[in-house]
Amino acid sequence: MPSPRSHLALVLASPLMLLLAWDGATRFSLVEQILLPAPATIGAALWDVLTRGYAGVSVFVHIGTSLWRVLTAFLLAAFVGVSLGLLRGLYPRIDAVCLVPFELIRPIPPLAFIPLFILWFGIGEVSKVLIIFYYAMLVVMLNTQAGVASCPEDKIRAARSLGASPWQVFWRVVFPASLPHVVVGLRVALAAALSILVASELLGGDRGLGFVISDASTFFKTADVFVGIVLIGLIGLIADRALTFTARRIVHWEGKT
Amino acid sequence: MSGHERRAHGHAEQGRIDAEGVFIRLGQGAEAFEAVQDVSFTVPAGEFVCVLGPSGCGKSTLLGALAGHIAPAHGALTLDGAAISGPHPDRGIVFQHHTLFPWKNVRDNIAFGPKMRGIPKAERHRQADEILELIGLGGFAGRYPKQLSGGMQQRVEIARVLVNHPRLLLMDEPFGALDALTRMMMQELLLDIWTRLRTTIVFITHDIDEALFLADRVLVMSPRPGRIVEDITVPFERPRRAEIVAEPPFGRLKRHCLDLLRPRPGTDTLPRLSPLGAPPHAR
Repeated sequence: MPSPRSHLALVLASPLMLLLAWDGATRFSLVEQILLPAPATIGAALWDVLTRGYAGVSVFVHIGTSLWRVLTAFLLAAFVGVSLGLLRGLYPRIDAVCLVPFELIRPIPPLAFIPLFILWFGIGEVSKVLIIFYYAMLVVMLNTQAGVASCPEDKIRAARSLGASPWQVFWRVVFPASLPHVVVGLRVALAAALSILVASELLGGDRGLGFVISDASTFFKTADVFVGIVLIGLIGLIADRALTFTARRIVHWEGKT
Repeated sequence: MSGHERRAHGHAEQGRIDAEGVFIRLGQGAEAFEAVQDVSFTVPAGEFVCVLGPSGCGKSTLLGALAGHIAPAHGALTLDGAAISGPHPDRGIVFQHHTLFPWKNVRDNIAFGPKMRGIPKAERHRQADEILELIGLGGFAGRYPKQLSGGMQQRVEIARVLVNHPRLLLMDEPFGALDALTRMMMQELLLDIWTRLRTTIVFITHDIDEALFLADRVLVMSPRPGRIVEDITVPFERPRRAEIVAEPPFGRLKRHCLDLLRPRPGTDTLPRLSPLGAPPHAR
């Protein structure tokens, strides 16, 4: 193991080296600017998009539209996914009913459904939100169910012997015991939701960061493609940090030694 | 004298167990088998009984029936004359591995039972703190289970049961996962608590030393199907010192128990099964 200081130096040096190599490659015309713009060009494009908008629309409208879609779908998915996961974990009959339909859908990549959803629900908000929702919901549901199963049998027996009713066992024991798994499911679902968002926005509409990326690429505005990518990446990073921060307060006992 | 002790003394005549021809079947269909066969015994109120037997002899299953987690196929199982049906805080149970709630601190873990009965926060915290003093963990109320050693976790586990003032304390190899020194300390602590509370204790173990050191009586069980092969009265006077395990009378009784437990030629060890039947999560 390197010392903490040299570890930090390596951590910081590697992205700097990449950036320098990238800058050098464009500066000495090793790659064409239309394929890979220089870092400074992307920086300028980012500033331009932030101050003057894209396609006549403020960038904050694009960001807001994307965030609205992803948050609506994610919150719905969290609610439905946790509820279904708990029901499947608690009631074998409900699990038996859900098993085959959900297992049939689960391995299908959500992007394969996009044309179908557009056919059914049009290119408006409904199909975009629904496609994110259904996939994120599956992820949350499966993790919640695993969380319910993770509660040891003896813990349930002990709670019953301490005087807890079946409802109290669920609400005071099984549900809190499942929360660490639920949190993992929410984080995975959030990352998936963002990637599906971009794909669904590529296919129609004139708002959203996915639209910015696909529109810019159509007109060979490669620097603007990178701007869209950077903004999506930042949103993903901030959302995941915020979720982890909140989760650590709720699931405060995890990892405590 | 604390309120807890007063209350326990007031109920000194409670905690009598009667088991009459108890059979317990586990498993389903072709895999079903008799885990406990024709077991009868009586435990007077306030007695400390150890059930001693090899792994898989059905002793944990018997304890599960006393707790009300499984129902006997035949026979009568009563506490103070009332049939045991379903779990109840009158019959507290402690397992080998702690079942504390990691999201609650020690005080709230102990206050779980009172909380389920709707006792207000201030009162249930007062009760929890009282029990914490009794088990010698007064300064640890705010800690979380993961911050405690194995021995401390089991002490909290016992406290969480005692706060309900059980008539019967059921213990399923509660010190089996602890190191030898901690285990010895816990045995002395348990005897100390029992001397003060005088609740009936049924204690499952496969450790002969442990059974003879703790119990008034030892019920020795045979391997599957589980039956009681001998009911031994332990003559050592109380309070017992840890040194008695090294004295000749203890050794003689221990040798007798060893003879009872030694497998007969031709009886293979049976595969390990979950003491309460269905494996976890198969429901």
